[in-house]
Amino acid sequence: MASSSTGALVRARKGVGVGGRGRPPGSVRRKRRSRFARVFAIFALPSVALLLLLNLYPVIYAALQSFRNGSLIDSGTFVGLRNYTGILHDPAFWHAARFTLVFTLVGVFGSWAIGLALALLLRTRIPGRSIFKVLLLLPWVVPVVVSATSWNWLVATPQSPMSRLFSALGFGNVLFLADPLLAQILVCVFKVWISFPFMMMMMSSALASVDVNVYEAAKIDGAGKWQTFREITLPMISRSTYISWVLMTIFCVNDFPTIFLLTGGGPVRATQSLVVMAYLTVFANFQTGPGVAIAFLMTIVLVAIATLLYRQIRKVDIE
Amino acid sequence: MDSQTVGASFSRRGVLGMTGGAAIAAALAACSSSGGSKSGGGGGGGKSLKFWNMPWGGTAFNPLDKKITLAYKPASGLPSATYQEIQWANFTQTFASAIASRTGPAVSSGGGTQAFQFAHQGQIAYADNLLDSWKKNGIYDDFFPGLVDTMKTDKGYAGVPYNLDVRVSWYNKSLLAKAGVEPPTTWAEYENVCAKLKKIGVYGFGLGAGTGNNIMAHILTAFMINNGGGLFNAKQEPDCASDANVEAVEFVLGLVKKGYSDPAAATYTTANVYAQWTAKKFGMGWDTAGAAVSVGGAVAKDMVVGVPLASTSGKKGGLYFPNNIMMYTNTPSQKGSEAFLTYYFQTMKSLWTQNTGIGLPPLKSITTTSQFKADPNSVKIVDDWQPIFKTWAAPGGTGLFYNIANTVDGTAPMNNFAQSILGGKVSAKAALSTLQSAIEPLMT
Repeated sequence: MASSSTGALVRARKGVGVGGRGRPPGSVRRKRRSRFARVFAIFALPSVALLLLLNLYPVIYAALQSFRNGSLIDSGTFVGLRNYTGILHDPAFWHAARFTLVFTLVGVFGSWAIGLALALLLRTRIPGRSIFKVLLLLPWVVPVVVSATSWNWLVATPQSPMSRLFSALGFGNVLFLADPLLAQILVCVFKVWISFPFMMMMMSSALASVDVNVYEAAKIDGAGKWQTFREITLPMISRSTYISWVLMTIFCVNDFPTIFLLTGGGPVRATQSLVVMAYLTVFANFQTGPGVAIAFLMTIVLVAIATLLYRQIRKVDIE
Repeated sequence: MDSQTVGASFSRRGVLGMTGGAAIAAALAACSSSGGSKSGGGGGGGKSLKFWNMPWGGTAFNPLDKKITLAYKPASGLPSATYQEIQWANFTQTFASAIASRTGPAVSSGGGTQAFQFAHQGQIAYADNLLDSWKKNGIYDDFFPGLVDTMKTDKGYAGVPYNLDVRVSWYNKSLLAKAGVEPPTTWAEYENVCAKLKKIGVYGFGLGAGTGNNIMAHILTAFMINNGGGLFNAKQEPDCASDANVEAVEFVLGLVKKGYSDPAAATYTTANVYAQWTAKKFGMGWDTAGAAVSVGGAVAKDMVVGVPLASTSGKKGGLYFPNNIMMYTNTPSQKGSEAFLTYYFQTMKSLWTQNTGIGLPPLKSITTTSQFKADPNSVKIVDDWQPIFKTWAAPGGTGLFYNIANTVDGTAPMNNFAQSILGGKVSAKAALSTLQSAIEPLMT
C-alpha cells in the first residue's frame, strides 16, 4: 500500500494523475515490454527476411565468389586467398586505389567548399535568389548520362568548345581527355561540378538551424566576419558537415558512371578508380573472383572511413 | 503512451514491410510466370523450341526475324519455334543465368565467342550433324570459303556462321581528291596519303579507343594479321611480341608519331569518331561495314571502302568476327533444333534483301541478289576483303576458341594497349610485351 502511494506521489510529481498514464509499476512494465518485443519481432520478421534475402544473400554469395576463379558463366573452383593476394600485388590496383583517394578527396572537399560558399551566399538577400537556387541544383538533378555526354561534347575533340577556347587563349591544343593528367583533373572537376549542389543543400539546411542570436551576440562582442565564420558558423554546422562528408565519401568511392561515361577509366588506366577496375575485371575480362575481391577490399576501406567519421560526429554530439 | 506510440509506429512499419514483401513476392512470381509463358515452357524442355536472337540491325530487323521464325512449320513430331529478342545490354548475364537455370534457348545467336564459352561448359550441341546434312542440300557450299571452319573446335563445330562483322578501311573521296592523292593499296602508299591529308588539316588514321569503342584494338590486330602476324599461336596461346607484330605496330606508331592520327583519339567514343568524319577531319580511317550509314548526312555519300593494303612484306589480311548461331544441349529435340536452323538458313535471305541493317551475310547466294549488289561498298567488302579476313585466332589457327573472350575480345588489356599506341609514347616491343604479360594470366 505504501509503495503504491509512493508510486502515486512520484507520478503526481511528474504531473500525471493517480489514475492517469504515469509510468506503470515494474511488473506491468516488464510484461508490456515483453509483449511489445513479441509484437515487434512478428511485425519486423517479414522486413528482416526480405532484407536478408535481398542484401545478405548476394553479399555472402559475392564473398564466396571472391574465393573462386569463376567467370560470368562458370562459378569456378575454390582458390583460397589467391584473388586477394593477386590484386594486392598488382600495380594497377594500387594505381586505381591512389586515383580513388585523390578523386574522393577532391570530390568531397571541393564540392563541400563550393557548396558551403554558395549556401552562405544564398543566405544573403540577393535579387533572384530562388532562381539561382534552382539553377545551381541543375548539375545534381540532371541525369549523369546527360551531363557526361554534355561534358564529352565540351572537351572531347580539338574542335570542342572548351578545346577551342583554351586554344584561343594561347594554351595550344589542349587534350582534356587524351592527356592522362588532364583527364584526371577533368574527371575530378566533373565530380565536383555534379556534387556541389548536394553539399549546398546540406549546408543550407545546417546554416538555417543556427540561431541568429548567436551571430548578433558575436557582433556585439566585436567579432569580425572571418572570426564569426571560423568560431561560430563552422562549429555550429560541424555535425551536418561530417555527415555530408561521410555521404560524399561513399558517393565518390562508389562512383562508377561519372568516370566510366567520361573516360572509361582511360587513357591507359589514368582515370581508373577501384570501382571501374572492379567492373572491367568482371565484365570485360570475365574474372568474377578478382573483381569481387576488389569490391570487398573497397568496402572494407569505406566502412573504416565511415566509422572514423561517425566517431567524429559522436564526439561533436557529446561536446 | 510512449510505448503505444512506438508500438503503433512499428506496427505500421511492419504492415508496410509485409505489404511490400507480399508485393515483391507477387512481382517475382509474376515475372517468373510471365517469363515461362512467353518462352513456351520451361527451358528447352517444353513443347516449343526457343529461338533467341539479338538486335543485329535497325528497328526493322527483329520484327522481320520474328515473322520468319513464327512462319516455321515443323515436320510431324518436331517442335514449333518461339521467338525472343534479347537486348545487348548485359546479354552475357542474360544467357548465363538462363542456361544455368535450364530456362535458356534451344537455339540462339549472341556474342561472337559465346558459342565457344558455352561449349567449354558443355552446354552446346555441336553442329557437325547439321553441317553434314547441309552438305546434301547445298547450304554448306553456299557459305563463303573457310567461314565454317572458324566455328571448328576439337570437339566439333560450336555453331554455324550467321553474319559477318568486319573491320575495313574507309576514305572520304572528296578529301582525297582535295589532297590530290589516289586511295592507297600498300602501307607505303597509305603513309603517303596520310602525309598529303595532313597538309590540308585532315587525319588519315581516323579511329578511336574510348569508352565502348574497341575499333583501335581491332585495327591493331588487323595490321598484325595484315603483316602475317596475330595474337595467338597454333597452341592457342598468346604470342603477342612476334617480329611480324612488332613490325606492324611500329608502322602504326609511326602514323601516330607523325601526326596522322587525331591526338585526342585515345578516348574517342564511336560518336566522337563519327563526329570527326562529319566535320571532315577524318579523310581516311578504319571502321565497321556500316560506318557510312552511321556517319550519315552529306559526308556518307563521299565515304568509300578502300582496298586491303599490302604490308611491307607484300602480305594482305584483315580481322573479322563471324557471328554465329548456336544450338544448346537443353532442347526439346536436337532434331528439332537442326530442322529449325535448316529452315531458318533457307529463308533468312530477306533479312539482307530488305536492308534490315544486319552485318554482311555468310551465304554467297545472298550477295548475288540485286538488292545486295546495289551497295558498292558491301560488294567491295565481299569481293576484296572477305577472302583475306582472319579471326582473332590468327596466325595460329582459323577457328575461334574459348579464351578469346576473356583475353582479347573487348578486354581491359586490349583497350589499354590500343590507348597506349594512340598516345604514341611507347615502343612497339614494350607495348606488345605489356599486352602479352597482361593477357597471359587471363588464360584459363
